[in-house]
Amino acid sequence: MAQEEIVSTGRFEEEPRAQAGAAPRELSRRSRVERWLFLTPAIVFQLVWGWYPLMVAFVLSFTNARVRGPVSFTGLESYVRIWNDPLVAQAFRVTFAYAGLSIALTFVIPILVAILLMEMPQRAMRWMMLLWFLPLSGIASTILWRYVYNAQYGLMQYIVTSLGLPPQRFLNDPNQVLFWLIFPGILLFGPGLIYMAALQSIPASYYEAAEIEGAGFWRKIWTISLPRLRPIISMMLTFAIIGSLQEFYWPQIMTGGGPGAASRTVVMYMYQLWSRLRFADSTALAIYLFAVILVITIVYRRFFKEDPDA
Amino acid sequence: MALFPKVGREQPSLRLPYWLVVTFLCLGVLLHLFPFYYMLVLSVTPARETLSTTPVLWPQEPTGAAWRLVFDVVTRSSTNQQARDLMPHPMSVYLINSLVMAFGTLALSLPITSLAAYANSKLQQGRGARWWFLFFIGTLMVPMAVTLIPSFLLTRNFPFPLPQPPNIPGTNTPFPVIRIWDTPWAVIIPGVFNAFNFLLFKGFFDTIPNSIIQAARVDGGSEFNIFRRIVFPMSVPVYAVAAWLQFGAVWDSYLWPLVVFQSPEKIPTSVAIANLMNRFIQAGTTTPEQAYARNEAMREIMEAGLSWNGLMVLGLLQTIPIFIMFIICREYLLRGIRLRGLK
Repeated sequence: MAQEEIVSTGRFEEEPRAQAGAAPRELSRRSRVERWLFLTPAIVFQLVWGWYPLMVAFVLSFTNARVRGPVSFTGLESYVRIWNDPLVAQAFRVTFAYAGLSIALTFVIPILVAILLMEMPQRAMRWMMLLWFLPLSGIASTILWRYVYNAQYGLMQYIVTSLGLPPQRFLNDPNQVLFWLIFPGILLFGPGLIYMAALQSIPASYYEAAEIEGAGFWRKIWTISLPRLRPIISMMLTFAIIGSLQEFYWPQIMTGGGPGAASRTVVMYMYQLWSRLRFADSTALAIYLFAVILVITIVYRRFFKEDPDA
Repeated sequence: MALFPKVGREQPSLRLPYWLVVTFLCLGVLLHLFPFYYMLVLSVTPARETLSTTPVLWPQEPTGAAWRLVFDVVTRSSTNQQARDLMPHPMSVYLINSLVMAFGTLALSLPITSLAAYANSKLQQGRGARWWFLFFIGTLMVPMAVTLIPSFLLTRNFPFPLPQPPNIPGTNTPFPVIRIWDTPWAVIIPGVFNAFNFLLFKGFFDTIPNSIIQAARVDGGSEFNIFRRIVFPMSVPVYAVAAWLQFGAVWDSYLWPLVVFQSPEKIPTSVAIANLMNRFIQAGTTTPEQAYARNEAMREIMEAGLSWNGLMVLGLLQTIPIFIMFIICREYLLRGIRLRGLK
């Protein structure tokens, strides 16, 4: 590739994509020792603070543990109780609705923005990269949006009434609360930077070649930008799904569960159980959630036919 | 400008879409920046105006009272005793706690996580590599709430996840335990291995062709030197992103520090500001009725800023370090990415 500078993000288009496991079979003895030196600290920490608490929690779900007092095994009691709890079903409904809405509204926009931003001249692009993705602290966000959503003097109410609609209750309205919780997320374009980094590595000649073939604007996006972004989009979508199904902080601080239980996600209900000292039930619910996430992720992976080791 | 055709770019039929795109992007920027702007505006608005039903886009009498109040409160220099009670320690204490936790975690986590990801990507092969990969990221799919209690108990009585350590069998003395609870280590240590960053690093290292590493091996030198001299310089953007993400996560984390710290002088700024916000809301006013039903000293504070404007100031304070870190990391990100040459 003669003309343009090859980008130094480390993505080398001409080389075949390296697969995990393509390392040479015969590593020198010294390299093998170093390999274990690299891995060991991480293994220790992950084992102690990642898997160990998980095992403990798993065992805990089969007991009736309290903070103090005797602990005895109760078998699958907690699992049965959670299975039959109607509040759990409701929490799952809320969670699915929240996750679906969140992804539908907030996932696509950063991609679009990143693609369009690449069209700007370089000077503008630097500024745009700063301004578009400027982060706001989560705590600051809660303060701001609680103010904006206030039914008496919030900004939202003003906008709504001046559009001629009747005053809304926003976060206090069980039908709308999920939408209003997700709305601020539409204005944050966080992951856009990652998409931009990936788009940087596409040489301009690809687009020119397509143009010679007669491709229009949208077609170029569809055939060049998007396929290059596909592994990243896939990864980010996985995270988005896993993350939004576990949503806790934002709804907890904004509504505490919403009017009634209209915005109480599964993890929020888990937290409630936990604060009522029903540890075993809480953990059993967590395991159910984990199973659901696992199934969804596996189905999604099959559907996307990703690399087996990604 | 790769999406717009080169030939005929100046023609009117193409200028219109182009400028539409520009307009769209500029509008988007304004929308995105609006919360910041709004917070700034609110922070200089007198309290009464923040409670009025018509929104304030620019205050009629801008006042620095809220800033002054918060500044007094956080440095504990106010003469008003009620204000002093709102925050037990000067902000600098909390700031140092947060900084220690954030940078302590970064200093340990980035090397350990990235080297392990490199080993998994380049030094391991086949099914073994895949199993280790799952080992490292398997915990990502589990919500934090699950491991909250066991982790909490572990910080008290490591290595026993129990409220009290058991006795050594046959004696009456309990096992010796390591207690990192109520110290910054309780935040740093569990954060050292970051599964998400591991995924990020591994994904990136996977895109480096093996031929480069092979060539370096032929030249001799240890794996670590190969990493240091060849792989690391080209990974700077990924490190920037990982550092930025982790800093943000640690700086803004609320629940875990809340659970793990007991002494009030050890909490980070996120917890301190959240506490202050709660006290403001309770003691102060977010409704017009409450605003005038308090005693004199509180009234003085309220007149100054014990309302939404003060809260906005606090929010901004919490955000500023995240800004700064973002700008720093962005520099490294851009340095590692040379924008491709356009003809």
